[in-house]
Amino acid sequence: MKKSFLALITFTGLALTSTWVSAKTEINVQNIIEKAEMASFYAGDDGRAEALMMIVDAQGRKQMRKFTILRKDIEDQGDQKFMVFFSRPTDVKNTVFRVEKHVALEQDDDRWLYLPALDLVKRISAGDKRTSFVGSHFFYEDVSGRSITEDDFSLVEENDAFYVLDAKPKKPESVEFSHYQIKIDKTTFLPMSINFYKGDKHYRQVETVKVESISGYPTVLRSKVSDLETGGYTLMEFRNVTYNTGVPDEVFTERSLRTPPQQWLQ
Amino acid sequence: MNSAAKILVHLCTTKPKLIYWTLLILTLGIGSQIPNIKIDTDPENMLDAAHPERVFHNNVKRDFSMHDAIVVGAISAPSTNDSGIYNQRSLKAIHDLVVTIMSIEGVITSDLMALSTVDNISQEEEGAIRFEWMMRNAPVSEEEALQIRDKIARLPLLYDTLVSQNDRASAIYVPIEDKNETYRIAETIRQAIEKLDSEDQWHITGLPVAEDQFGYEMFVQMGISAPLAGLTIFILLFVFFRNFPLIISPMIVAMSTVIVTMGLLITFGFTVHIMSSMIAIFLMPIAVVDSVHILSEFSDRYKPGENLPKIVEEVIGHLFKPMLYTSVTSSIGFFSLMLTPIPPVQIFGAFVGFGILFAFVVTITFIPAYLSRMSETSLIKLQKAIHKDDKGSRIARLAKQLGHIANHHQGRLLSVFALIFVISAWGVSQIKINDNPVRWFKEGHEIRVADKVLNENFAGTYDAYIVLTDETSLPGGATLLNQASPIPQTLSSWYQNALDTLDNTDASEQLLQLTSLIDEQLFTSESDEAIQWLESLLANVERIASESKRFQSPQILHYISELQTYLGNTGLVGKSNSLSDVVKVVNRELHTGENKDYQIPDTPAAVAQTLLQYQSSHRPQDLWHFVTPDYRSTLIWLQLTSGDNQDMSKVVQQVDDYVASHPLPEGVKLGWAGKAYLNVVWQENMVEGMLGSLLSAFIIVFFMMIILFRSLVFGVLAMLPLTITITFIYGLIGIVGKDYDMPIAVLSALTLGLSVDFAIHFLERTRAVYKQTQDINQTFSLMFDEPATAIGRNALVIALGFTPLLLAPLVPYITVGFFLASIMAVSALVTLLVLPAMMTKLQRFVFKPETK
Repeated sequence: MKKSFLALITFTGLALTSTWVSAKTEINVQNIIEKAEMASFYAGDDGRAEALMMIVDAQGRKQMRKFTILRKDIEDQGDQKFMVFFSRPTDVKNTVFRVEKHVALEQDDDRWLYLPALDLVKRISAGDKRTSFVGSHFFYEDVSGRSITEDDFSLVEENDAFYVLDAKPKKPESVEFSHYQIKIDKTTFLPMSINFYKGDKHYRQVETVKVESISGYPTVLRSKVSDLETGGYTLMEFRNVTYNTGVPDEVFTERSLRTPPQQWLQ
Repeated sequence: MNSAAKILVHLCTTKPKLIYWTLLILTLGIGSQIPNIKIDTDPENMLDAAHPERVFHNNVKRDFSMHDAIVVGAISAPSTNDSGIYNQRSLKAIHDLVVTIMSIEGVITSDLMALSTVDNISQEEEGAIRFEWMMRNAPVSEEEALQIRDKIARLPLLYDTLVSQNDRASAIYVPIEDKNETYRIAETIRQAIEKLDSEDQWHITGLPVAEDQFGYEMFVQMGISAPLAGLTIFILLFVFFRNFPLIISPMIVAMSTVIVTMGLLITFGFTVHIMSSMIAIFLMPIAVVDSVHILSEFSDRYKPGENLPKIVEEVIGHLFKPMLYTSVTSSIGFFSLMLTPIPPVQIFGAFVGFGILFAFVVTITFIPAYLSRMSETSLIKLQKAIHKDDKGSRIARLAKQLGHIANHHQGRLLSVFALIFVISAWGVSQIKINDNPVRWFKEGHEIRVADKVLNENFAGTYDAYIVLTDETSLPGGATLLNQASPIPQTLSSWYQNALDTLDNTDASEQLLQLTSLIDEQLFTSESDEAIQWLESLLANVERIASESKRFQSPQILHYISELQTYLGNTGLVGKSNSLSDVVKVVNRELHTGENKDYQIPDTPAAVAQTLLQYQSSHRPQDLWHFVTPDYRSTLIWLQLTSGDNQDMSKVVQQVDDYVASHPLPEGVKLGWAGKAYLNVVWQENMVEGMLGSLLSAFIIVFFMMIILFRSLVFGVLAMLPLTITITFIYGLIGIVGKDYDMPIAVLSALTLGLSVDFAIHFLERTRAVYKQTQDINQTFSLMFDEPATAIGRNALVIALGFTPLLLAPLVPYITVGFFLASIMAVSALVTLLVLPAMMTKLQRFVFKPETK
């Protein structure tokens, strides 16, 4: 009796597993991409990290950027606020970016810039977000996250470890790529690589190099963007990553541009 | 003739088949290498690969990512309205063409410059700064097309470079990875243009295109002019000797000389440059000259039924010495080119010099062998032809008439030549040294036309770069580590590790590395002492790193701006682009967007922050065309509308003047690069080198003449006609105002070696005749019979042999052909007119009574 009960449980368990597996294979593409977006850009309610960027050109010449990035979500998968405080190179120290990200397709992000040496706060036009982020091979959009509402996704491949999705832009005239393929880790739902194409030509690659779990959130600690056309690349490394810091809304206002909130930057 | 040579010639007449086979195997063996020919059309190769200016130029190209580019220009059709190129249809054509070009393999897409690939930086209504593609998609309305005009007009880096000031023309700069792919890429672009819906006029140019075209024309030249030269010589020989079997022999000498010389050049791994592509046409006429002497004399001496080999050996014995000397002097003229520090000229000189000596050896071996095997009937026919021809031929008649003038107006002739010489010498002082590789193409050539049109419309297609470099020494990370105060105990292993890591990188990069190393260590260090020590070191490293970025300094940017204003006022620089312009544009858009903010900000940090914004565009890498990422070297791009070396030299001079009165910032060094500048460098080398070649050839030939004639007076006399000729020709160039360019420079030294031949023959024969006659008047009268005719013949062979170059597709070939022909003709004439007069006037020294 006991035995058969166990067998039953096992059987039910197997049956459950198999239904679960089949559900998983047919898992909604929308679901995957939403989870991926959550994992990459919405971990916790807010977050803080120190970023170190090494920009390497085709000749191997290097530039460095160091900044602290603060993020606060207004709602999961919804609007977000970002602050980026530069500390290096020394001559751009205290340069600040302030971003209010809006996910609605019809609403552009709001972006501001503070240049301390010119004592100038400047609004950055909505326009194109696929321009270089401070001379690196990352685009603005790579830092704040390209909204998943902008592309149509389809599943190309699935194996034990990854989903591979293909994304086609809804507004092809607004971007330089014709499509991209994104490889998503099945356990963390973090994108492990994103390959951009112009037609058949693979010209740009974003790779996740190192992932660690921080406060229970799988976190990308090192990533790399390569410009396959020029041979240049940028490495970005995050340190001192913390989530759910409780950073207040006031930090994400214009006031912080001229007077950086030191306690949130340490 | 010494005994060794006698034995050799005897061998040739007795064992002709051995000679035939040796020559055949040699020619075919070495000639088999010819298919491995490699063409070199890069004007840069006029300088040695290790030449410091060339090395600098290439380093600049690498450091600032300056690629060779194909330039495509669209000129709006005259029918379009006032908006010029800014109309929907024209812009769509440009947009569509760029899409095609971007898909061509071998195009560096990230650096392609066109309206549809560049960024616009502008103000938005609420005072926001905006980066956007200038023309991401083709405009959908005429208004949209006109908006692009307004945007371009606000961007000094693009205005007059991408679109002309008159709005009529737009350019696409297509950087390419490999120059050898130019033809394929340009051809694909041409086909794409054909398919465009466009009434505009399209041009394709740029240095790689010109070079490619040049290589093609070089083959045409070698394929057409060289065989034509052969044909011309063949016809001339037939006119002289009227005997096909006979004249085949000098043609064989010429052919095998050309094949062996070119084959050797290719075997040794040398490329065929514009100079060496003329080797064939130079060697052919020179190679047959000795044969002409032998055939003339042979046909004079030979009587039917005599011992053929014996006659041949006699003839060769008689001519051996003058032939040897004329060959050696000619080759010296060419060998002297090796003193000019221009590799293609050196190779040309070396191989033509070799070819002449080789032709001499073939002549004295193959011709005897050939003659000794000729049939009786051919020989009889030959004699008839020669003797009939000699008496009534035009050359003979002309020689007689010349003799009349030479012998009856000696005083007047000498005054006239003295006067000509003085005027010519003045003319030489008027020579304008100038060249422009684009003018190597004929007027009306596609490339000349494109060049002209684009330079009329744009700020200029000729590039020169002024490169400013901070040469003050920068302490590296290792130095700073070594200088740091006593190291806290806890950091000693980190310190050692850091020192090891920092080895073997340049100072700027060491600073960057050290910063990261300190950062990392700060992260793990716990002791206050260590943290304090690291922080103070970090502050020091950061300060030095900031200070090292010399070209973020507003003072230096102002200096650059002022230099640019000065350049703009010279009238020679169409436009200049620099880091200052970039900073000013971004500064303007960061502020009001109005002209009053077109300024350089006040502090290095403000400049750095401005540039950080520039890097936030679609094309951040554009910044590195103007400054290196360490900000220790900057480039000012000068666009010149003229590719004349003369104009480039003037610009260099003007910059030198400016720098003399406005000293460069301390520790900053100014250097030049760019194709237009490099052309000036090799031209200067060429002019100086040529003077050396000319002088050394002159001296060596002069001494050879003294030795040959065993007389100083005869030595001087031998040099006289060619001195007058060369001075006259170059004086004429100066007076007429023809530029002294590459081909003309090369001619001076080599004509010296060729034109002395006439004097050698004339003096040698005069001496011989005088020995018999012991009378000056009778001597000169006789000289204008057979000897003058022979000289005339050879002058004709050489002069006419070069005339097929006049049909060549490239201007330098035509110049060479024209001037060589003229120099040969003039120097033969001068020899015949001046030498009798001089010898008569100097008879006391010239015709010494026979000491018995």
